[in-house]
Amino acid sequence: MIQQVTTTESDKAQDAPIAPPDHLVGKSCRRIDGKEKVTGTALYGADLFPNSAELFASVVRSQHAHANITAIDTTKALEVAGVLGVYTHADVGGTNIHGLIRRDHPALASKRVRYLGDAIAVVVAKTERAAKLGRDRVEVSYEPLPVIATMEQAIADGACKLYPEGNVMGDKRIRKGDVELALANSHVVVTDTFFTQTVDHAFLDIEAGTGHWDGQVLTLYVAGQWVHEERRLIALALGLPVEQIRIIQPVTGGAFGGREDISIQIYLGLAALKHQGKTIALRYTRSESMRARHKRHALKIESTFGAKADGTLTAARIVVHSDEGAYASTGIAVMRKAASHATGPYRVPNVEVDVYGVHTNNNPTGAMRGFGACQMAIAYEGMMDRIARALNMDREAFRRKNLIQSGDTVTTGQHVDPVSIGHCLSKAIAKFKERPYPGNDKLPDYMRRGWGMSAICFGLGYGDGFPDCSRARVEMNDDGTATVYTGGVEVGQGLLNTMMQIAGEDLGLPMEHMRIVAADTELTDESGSSSATRQTYFTGNAVRMAASELREQVLDIAGIKLKVHPHEITLQQGWAFETAKPDNRVSIQQICTEGLTRGYSLKATALFKPRTITEVPQTGQSPRAFITYLFGAHVSQVLVNMETGEVKVERHIAAHDVGKAVNPQSVEGQIVGGVAQGLGMALMEEVTYKDGRIMNPGLTDYIIPTIKDLPPVEAIIVEHDDPGGPFGAHGVGEPPLIGAVPAILSAIYDATGKAPCELPMNPERTWRLINDVRENDPLSKVF
Amino acid sequence: MPDPTPMEIPMTQVACTVNGEAFTRDVPVDSPLLEFLRDVLGLTGTKGACLEGECGSCTVLVDGETINSCLMLAAQANNRSITTIEGLASGAELDVIQDSFVATGAAQCGYCTPGLIMSARALLNDRPDISETELLTALEGNICRCTGYASIIEAVKRAHRESQSS
Repeated sequence: MIQQVTTTESDKAQDAPIAPPDHLVGKSCRRIDGKEKVTGTALYGADLFPNSAELFASVVRSQHAHANITAIDTTKALEVAGVLGVYTHADVGGTNIHGLIRRDHPALASKRVRYLGDAIAVVVAKTERAAKLGRDRVEVSYEPLPVIATMEQAIADGACKLYPEGNVMGDKRIRKGDVELALANSHVVVTDTFFTQTVDHAFLDIEAGTGHWDGQVLTLYVAGQWVHEERRLIALALGLPVEQIRIIQPVTGGAFGGREDISIQIYLGLAALKHQGKTIALRYTRSESMRARHKRHALKIESTFGAKADGTLTAARIVVHSDEGAYASTGIAVMRKAASHATGPYRVPNVEVDVYGVHTNNNPTGAMRGFGACQMAIAYEGMMDRIARALNMDREAFRRKNLIQSGDTVTTGQHVDPVSIGHCLSKAIAKFKERPYPGNDKLPDYMRRGWGMSAICFGLGYGDGFPDCSRARVEMNDDGTATVYTGGVEVGQGLLNTMMQIAGEDLGLPMEHMRIVAADTELTDESGSSSATRQTYFTGNAVRMAASELREQVLDIAGIKLKVHPHEITLQQGWAFETAKPDNRVSIQQICTEGLTRGYSLKATALFKPRTITEVPQTGQSPRAFITYLFGAHVSQVLVNMETGEVKVERHIAAHDVGKAVNPQSVEGQIVGGVAQGLGMALMEEVTYKDGRIMNPGLTDYIIPTIKDLPPVEAIIVEHDDPGGPFGAHGVGEPPLIGAVPAILSAIYDATGKAPCELPMNPERTWRLINDVRENDPLSKVF
Repeated sequence: MPDPTPMEIPMTQVACTVNGEAFTRDVPVDSPLLEFLRDVLGLTGTKGACLEGECGSCTVLVDGETINSCLMLAAQANNRSITTIEGLASGAELDVIQDSFVATGAAQCGYCTPGLIMSARALLNDRPDISETELLTALEGNICRCTGYASIIEAVKRAHRESQSS
C-alpha cells in the first residue's frame, strides 16, 4: 500500500541540514536588552511615573550634619493643598532600621541625625509639587552637636562621640612573620602616606521607583543590587513578613556599588502601606541622590616597605584609617578587603596591617567598584615605584622579582593557583612597546611625558567566610526554548547575556531559543548581589549546574528517541543527533514533548555555595579567604603640563585575566569602562565636604570623564582557565578600575619625577606636587 | 537645604510637533521641555540624569539642533518641531545609529544611550564626512558612566560608514 505523504512546513525544517555548532560561550552575542535601550522603550525607575503614578512622595532630610532632634511638627505641611499625609518614625511598623552588615541606620530618624542625608519624614501628596511643598514645611527642631568633619577630629581626645562606644567603628589586622626584624635587616626602607578621596558612583539613572500595597503584597519597582536581601531589610524595617513584599527590578542605569545600600525602598514602602490601593512614585534629584547616598571610602594609608639590595621585598607595615561616615554600611567588609589586599600580588614574607574604620558626620561610606582593594592598590603600586627608584632598579624588573607565582601566598596567607599576573604584565608591556614611545624630545619645555604600570590582584566574592551563594533555575519550555531564572540583577554589566549564553552553551541551543527572567523576588530564587565581581562566577556556576542537569535529561530522552546511548549524542542548534550519524536526529522541541509524557520534569535548580574560610582574627590569615583570585596589569602614558598641572592620558593598556570571556564584547566593555572610572578617580573626581556638607552635589562640580578625556583604551583579554568557574570564566567587573588608577599615578611620577600621594591628581594637586607646595603650606593661601 | 518649591505656578499653552505629531497642551511656565516630554506626553525615552545641562542624557533635536531638554523650557518649544529617540526607528526597523549601538555594545546600562544617539543623529544629518575631532566634539556633551566611550565611538563610525555606503 502506498501511503500518501504530505510535506508540511515543519517537516521541511526536519530535512534542512543542522546549522554548524555555534558556541555561545566565547561569542559576542548582541545584548538582549539592546533594542529596548536604543529605542527608548526600556523602562527605568523614573519611566514608570507617567503611566502608573497616582500619588507622589518626597523625603524630609536633616538640616544638620550632627544634632539631636527635639521636635518634629508636621502641622504646616499637612495644610498644603494636595498633601495627604506626613509620616515620621512613629508611623513605621517595624524596626525602622536598615544596614547591610550592621542594622544601625534609621530609615526615619527619631532622636538624632548623624549626616545631612538622614531622612526624618516622608510626605505623600497628589502631585509631586505638593509633596515637595509639604516637605519644605515640615518643621524640625534641633539641638546641634559638634560636627565631626574629619577622621583627625573623630579620633582626637575628647571628640564628640557619634555612638556610645566611640568613633572607631572597628578594626582589622594582618600579622605575618616578624616585620620589626625584617625591616631592621633590610637594605632600604621606604615610607610614604597616601590619601585617597571620597568618590561618588555617579550612575546616571537617579534613584526613582514606585510602590503599591494591595492589602496583601507590597510591590516595589526599585533598582537595587540584591533584590532578595533588600526584601529582608525592608521587611524588618517596616514590620512586614518577607512573603508580603515583592521587589521587581526595573531596567537599571548603572550601580557600581551605589545601589547596594537601601535607598528609596523603605520610604516608598511606608507611603504605600499608608495609602492602600494607590501607586506611589518617588524620585530624587541629582543633588538629593548625591547627598543621601553612601560613597567610596576616603583612606589614609601609611605604608612602610623594606627590600634587600637585590630588590627582594622583605616586609610591609601598613596602617589605614578609613572615613566610614555616619553609618556602618558595608564598611566592615571594605576594611577587610582593604587589609587582605594590602600587599597585592607581591611576595612579602613579613606583613603587619592595621585598618581602623572611623565614624564622621560625612555621608556613610560603603560599596563602590573596587571596594577597599582599589585604594590599597594605589598604595602598594605607589610603593613599588618608590622602592624601585630607591634601589635604582627598573620598575618592571623590580616588580617581576617580587610578583607571586602559582602556589605562592598573598597577604592573607592563601596559596593561589593559577597565578597569571606575570603573563598579564608581559601582555600589557608588549602591547605598549608595539608602538615607539615618543618620549620628551619633541616637546616644549613646559610639557613632560611619562609612562607607568600597575600589577594588581583581586579576591573574588565576599570572602572571609561570609556566606556567599547563588541559586538558579533552568526550564525547558513547550516550544523547545529554555528559560533561565535568576535573582541576579542586571545593572548594565551584561549579566542577562552571560547567564543565557552559559545555559545555551550547555543545552546546545541558539541564542534565539534562550529566555531569561531576572531579579523579581516572586519569580526567581536568590542569587546574591551584583557586586564583588561575583555574578559570572557564582550565578554563572549555578546556571551551569542547573543547565547541566537539564542537559542530562535532554540526552536521556534523546537516547530513547534515537535508540543510542546518551554519550553518543550531540546537542547543537536546537537538535539532538547521533554524533556518528547526524541524520539520526530529533529536535529539542520534540524531546520536550516526549519528555513530559515520560515523566521528566525538564526543570532543574542548582545552588552554588563554595566554602571560604574565615580569617583568624588575630592574624588575618586564612587558607581560603577568597574563592579565587583575578589578576590584571595596566600601562598608562601621560602628558603633563608642568606649568598648569594638567594631565592628559595619551595611551592606556589594560590586560585582564578573566578566565574565559563568556561574551568578549561585554568583557571589553567592562575593561574600558573600568579604566574610564579609574581615570576619573585618578585625575578629577572628588566629593568635597565642608563640615559634613557636600559642596559639589551635582555633575556641574563633580567632574566625571567625558569622551575627550579618554584615550583609545587598549583592552587585552587574557584567558587562563579557572578550574572553579563556569567554562573556566571568573569575572572582570572591578579589577579594571583597580589597575587603572595606580598606572596613571605611576606615569605621572615618571613624567614629573615626583611621586603622587594624594588623589585626585587634578591640575591644582599636580601643580602642587611639581612645585613641592603642600595644601597646608602658607604659600597655599596665595591661591 | 532642599530647593525652595514655589507655591503657585501660572500655566501657559504650548503647541508643538513631536516626532511628526502635533500637540497642544497647558504646562506650568517653569516646566522644562524634558518634563513635558516625559510626564505630559509619556515619551520616557528621553532621560534626565543631572537636570542641569551637564550630562546630555536629555538631548533631543529641536528644529534639527541638539538641545538639553532639561534646560529648555517647555514654553520655548512653542511652534517648534521636536524629535526624540522614539521618533528615530521606523516601525520595527532601527535607525542605523540605533542598530550600530547594539552591534558594538555601546549601550551597557543604556541610560545615556538615547541622548547619545540623538547627538550622533544630528552630527550625521549635518555632515557627509566627519573627522575624529568633529565626532568627539559632537559627543563631548554626553556623559557615559559605563562604557569608557570606545564602543560609542565605534558605533557612530559604523553608522557613518553604513549610511555612506547605502
